[in-house]
Amino acid sequence: MNRRDFLWNFGGGLGGIALASMLQAEGLHHPAKAKRVIQLFMSGAASQCDTFDYKPALLKRNGEKFDPGGKVELFQSVPGAVMQSPWAWKQRGQSGKWISDLVPHIASCADELAFVHSMVAKSNVHGPATFMQNSGFILPGYPSMGAWISYALGSMNQNLPTFVVLPDARGFAPNGAGNWTAGFLPAASQGTMIRASSANPIYDLFPPKSAPYITPESEADTLRVLNEVNRQHLTSHEGDSRLEARIASYEMAARLQLSAPDVMDISKETAVTRALYGVGDPVTDDFGRNCLVARRMLERGVRFVQVWSGADNGFPRRNWDSHEDIAKDHGEMAAGMDKPAAALIKDLKSRGLLDDTIVYWTTEFGRMPCSQGSKGRDHNPFAFTSWFAGGGFKGGASYGASDEWSYKVAENPAYCYDVHATVLHLLGIDHKRLTFRHNGIDRRLTDVYGEVIQGII
Amino acid sequence: MRLIPAIAILVPLAASADTGVQQLLTSRCQNCHNDQTRSGGLSLMSAAAMRKGGARGPAVVPGKPGQSLLYKLVTDGTPRMPREGEPLSVAEIRSVREWIEAGAPWTEANQWWSLQPLRTSFSPGASIDRFVLDKLKEKGLRPSPEADRRTLIRRVTYDLHGLPPTPEEVTAFVTDAAPGAYERLVDRLLASPRYGERWGRHWLDVVHYGESHGYDKDKPRRNAWPYRDYVIKSFNDDKPYARFVQEQLAGDALFPDDPNATVALGFIAAGPWDYVGQAELREGTTDKNLTRVLDRDDMVTVTMSAFTSMTAHCARCHDHKFDPISQADYYNLQAVFAGVDRAERPVDADPAVFRQRKALLAKRRELVIALRPLEDAMGEVSTPEIVQLDKQLAEWKQVSATDPAKRPAEINEKIAAATARRKEMVRAAAPAPMLAEIARLQAEIGRVDAELKALPKPQMVYAAASYFDPIGTFRFAPTPRPVNLLIRGSVEAPGPPATPGALSAVPGLQALFKVDAEAERRAALAHWITAPENMLTWRSIVNRVWHYHFGAGIVDSPNDFGHMGSLPTHPELLDWLAVQFRESGGSFKKLHKLIVMSAAYRQNSADNAENSRIDADNRYLWRANRQRLDAESIRDSILAVNGRLDSTMGGPSVEQFFFKDDHSPIYDYSRFDPDAPGNYRRSVYRFLVRSVPDPLMERFDCPDVSMITAKRTTTITAIQALALMNNPFVLKQAEHLAERVQSVGGTVEAAYRLVLQREPSATEAATLNAYLKREGLPNLCRLLLNTNEFLFVD
Repeated sequence: MNRRDFLWNFGGGLGGIALASMLQAEGLHHPAKAKRVIQLFMSGAASQCDTFDYKPALLKRNGEKFDPGGKVELFQSVPGAVMQSPWAWKQRGQSGKWISDLVPHIASCADELAFVHSMVAKSNVHGPATFMQNSGFILPGYPSMGAWISYALGSMNQNLPTFVVLPDARGFAPNGAGNWTAGFLPAASQGTMIRASSANPIYDLFPPKSAPYITPESEADTLRVLNEVNRQHLTSHEGDSRLEARIASYEMAARLQLSAPDVMDISKETAVTRALYGVGDPVTDDFGRNCLVARRMLERGVRFVQVWSGADNGFPRRNWDSHEDIAKDHGEMAAGMDKPAAALIKDLKSRGLLDDTIVYWTTEFGRMPCSQGSKGRDHNPFAFTSWFAGGGFKGGASYGASDEWSYKVAENPAYCYDVHATVLHLLGIDHKRLTFRHNGIDRRLTDVYGEVIQGII
Repeated sequence: MRLIPAIAILVPLAASADTGVQQLLTSRCQNCHNDQTRSGGLSLMSAAAMRKGGARGPAVVPGKPGQSLLYKLVTDGTPRMPREGEPLSVAEIRSVREWIEAGAPWTEANQWWSLQPLRTSFSPGASIDRFVLDKLKEKGLRPSPEADRRTLIRRVTYDLHGLPPTPEEVTAFVTDAAPGAYERLVDRLLASPRYGERWGRHWLDVVHYGESHGYDKDKPRRNAWPYRDYVIKSFNDDKPYARFVQEQLAGDALFPDDPNATVALGFIAAGPWDYVGQAELREGTTDKNLTRVLDRDDMVTVTMSAFTSMTAHCARCHDHKFDPISQADYYNLQAVFAGVDRAERPVDADPAVFRQRKALLAKRRELVIALRPLEDAMGEVSTPEIVQLDKQLAEWKQVSATDPAKRPAEINEKIAAATARRKEMVRAAAPAPMLAEIARLQAEIGRVDAELKALPKPQMVYAAASYFDPIGTFRFAPTPRPVNLLIRGSVEAPGPPATPGALSAVPGLQALFKVDAEAERRAALAHWITAPENMLTWRSIVNRVWHYHFGAGIVDSPNDFGHMGSLPTHPELLDWLAVQFRESGGSFKKLHKLIVMSAAYRQNSADNAENSRIDADNRYLWRANRQRLDAESIRDSILAVNGRLDSTMGGPSVEQFFFKDDHSPIYDYSRFDPDAPGNYRRSVYRFLVRSVPDPLMERFDCPDVSMITAKRTTTITAIQALALMNNPFVLKQAEHLAERVQSVGGTVEAAYRLVLQREPSATEAATLNAYLKREGLPNLCRLLLNTNEFLFVD
């Protein structure tokens, strides 16, 4: 096993054996502007034309036949009439960015945000499109962005995981844990799921109550004797670094047991901070708690945190997939997400962390500017919006544009490849040089595509 | 700048030549300098192309590194090459210089090692050990002595069974002084059904067998398991390899009277399936076409990777950049699978019933094909009243919920009444002859159904199928769907039509199949793959087997024998094994025996500083590789040592999670009793969910079952330590181990014998006896399950 393999397989990861990682061993490709990333994923497809993609034409032609020219092929339905957003639009901040009243708190951070309005997805089906935003492929089994970044950069705190995932308290998004898989990368790069509101937030962090013979005192004794037995074994099995790595892994595990409960304990935050995130208010409590825990993790050196807003596409609606009633369903989802997301930006900023932390808000595709039924919106893979804050992104900037309807991209189409390339770029990584050989191909997060989006950094 | 005269004499070499520099060019240069991209006008893909050079003249002047542009630019030229990534290392630059000095020998694509016919003549006395020893000598390495008997029985038992030997088996072997003890051990292990469970599990990795669809709506496949049982049984029965391959690709066509050969088609269906794309998208949409292309892509990928170790899937968007595989080859392979989908199909254990059902289903299929356009036409029937009603219906459905179960009852009643009214309106508007023909066909289908119903209940099997009941918009193809070459892989840019075929670069085999009927296409591919002349097939499988025995293949990229893969460390040995295997009739058991009987396999695993300096990775096998147990072996070993292992074979998979069906079904491993009886079965019988893997197994590098896995990675992490210390299943089993140890004396010695199959040393006994007094037996058992010795096999 060469040095690189060794570092990949036995470094990084959840309380990895060493702080080492591929690029820490070889050096970054260029100086980094950001050190860590938090991704807010709106599962089910959050509408661009009800949030950040302002189109006067929709207000003017509300209720008219939707005729953008060419055949309109929808996922579920036949196109209904042009439908304006149920929320009013206002210009915000110094930049004068138009943002709707669906997300007033995020709107209050307008000058921190850099928008990409020309996002395109390669599938109009939730599963494949969610894979694509995460891994760059519409197929299952490819490593997610968080896994690639873990693999490349490793941890900044050996007592905590490198890549943490906080799912929506209501359940998993389509594809489940497949969205944060390490794919063919070493397993240590995969996302560690933390259920912040659960009694047992990380699988197997502590012994179950069903084992009363394990006490804090016995545990210390066990670790000491195990170490002794393993060291004795080592004397007759010299020259095998894996055996030493396993011995070290128990020390790391013990440290994780101390640091993980601490990072999740938001009672240590001030009442003002908890209120900022909406903790305690039933509408915002779940997502607020997740965002606050996420901030505590970022602060302590976790490299990549993914927070989900929205579960699967079932009924009653528990994600952004508002086919039936955009006002009701998007209204509820946004009410839970808006305040905590804005709090995250403000809080990171006040702590001086926003400068080198990328906040990345995204979804798998957008929604149609025409109605489905009379009050819903169908899928729109042709144009949607993502935004960024901090970490080298230019606040108040916008890149790309959809057409007058917010139906298809009109200028500078951008794919997940470009977004991923840009985020990697700010982290000091050349996306073309971050590769892993698998089944005959040097795989990349950006497949064979990807351009750094210069206009927003 | 002076132009360098083109005096290149690039001598093509035999395939056995050292192709190190060629590999270097592939990995560092050909990404930009290939026949398509031609950065700077230069391709480095062939001798001719290098001779021709690019905008700045020829790249290589054989014999003259100083005059070769290639050499100049990798040393200190402008621009420095390669432009991307680190500069070449000093050693790499030296090898480029030596290569040019030697006349820049070049192996053309058609001389690539893996595409050369198998060598058939070998020096007398050829054997595994002869080849390995020759190579060790050549490299200045010394072999290691044979491992002691306790190590040997532990190694070979894990290797062939994935389980530890019992203390009694160890004692029997260690004290067996009669000649042939080891051979008797090997024969006993190969005859046990535990062998098929172990090696079948390896094959399931290679075919990415999973038991749910993956993607959104990750529905369980409750009838995938017959294929898993088929694989295990095939290994246990020592099924000839050619037949094993043929059954998995075309068992229905080639062995129509053998129900098990149809079960084998689970191979084609093993991978993920996009439920929404397949069953919910409308026919004729772009995304529907894309779904189908990707579905077939998975079939092509797994077939060519598993059986030939070629990366045909790299040619979906363009000709393969490095290997002689054209886009046409790739789409011809897609055409092989153009008539099948992944679906449940009935199989009867009784061949007579199976035959009867097949005839009836063939009849039913024809009737459904005749009926389908008529029913589609009925769907198109429209009047202004129908349009009005449809609008009303859509509104009711959308306003409340698309899922009927979630709608208010009164709305559902209204929808039901309106749907019945609509049916009447359509009937009234439809032409009478059409209605009559529909009625006639439906009556005939009814008669066939009555006959089918009279047959004994079949076993449903998830497999490749060209006939099945529809699910939403997912319907069988009456004839193979047309497949076109897709320009840049885009479904919106179809090129010329494809015809069923395989790789055109394999010499001596007809690449185009000249067949049209659905099953004949798959049968032709099966014959192409299993042809005795197909060198890829025979090399691929013996290398795979070698990989599992030694922890590394002779070719260390078992799924890639192309330019991006590794080169064989022992090319002659690989061919010798391939020929032995082919000539033995493709007997896995004979191959295993040949390998595990060798002295190379029986070496100890101790380090040797001198050897390590030359070959730290042990690529030339100067010792045995110490291996960490894989996830299944860890779980199974815990059950084996505590005596709870349930050796029941086969049948539906054990669902070791809480399950709730929903839009996206819920699989929750934390809400499951770790002591439930099904949990004692071997891990190969676990139900394998794609979207939510078992957290314990995942910790120990059990691969994502959506991914084709030729080689498992082994990682060591803190979270593994936590899992082995605290996972409820592990702890429960540690408690059972304590009960067992108690029943045989409750001593440290008894625990050692069960868990590590040896006596503790005096120091170990002292340390652990004191610990046992302090913390009790369950803690002692938990500790032993966490030792390095338990997890590693020497």
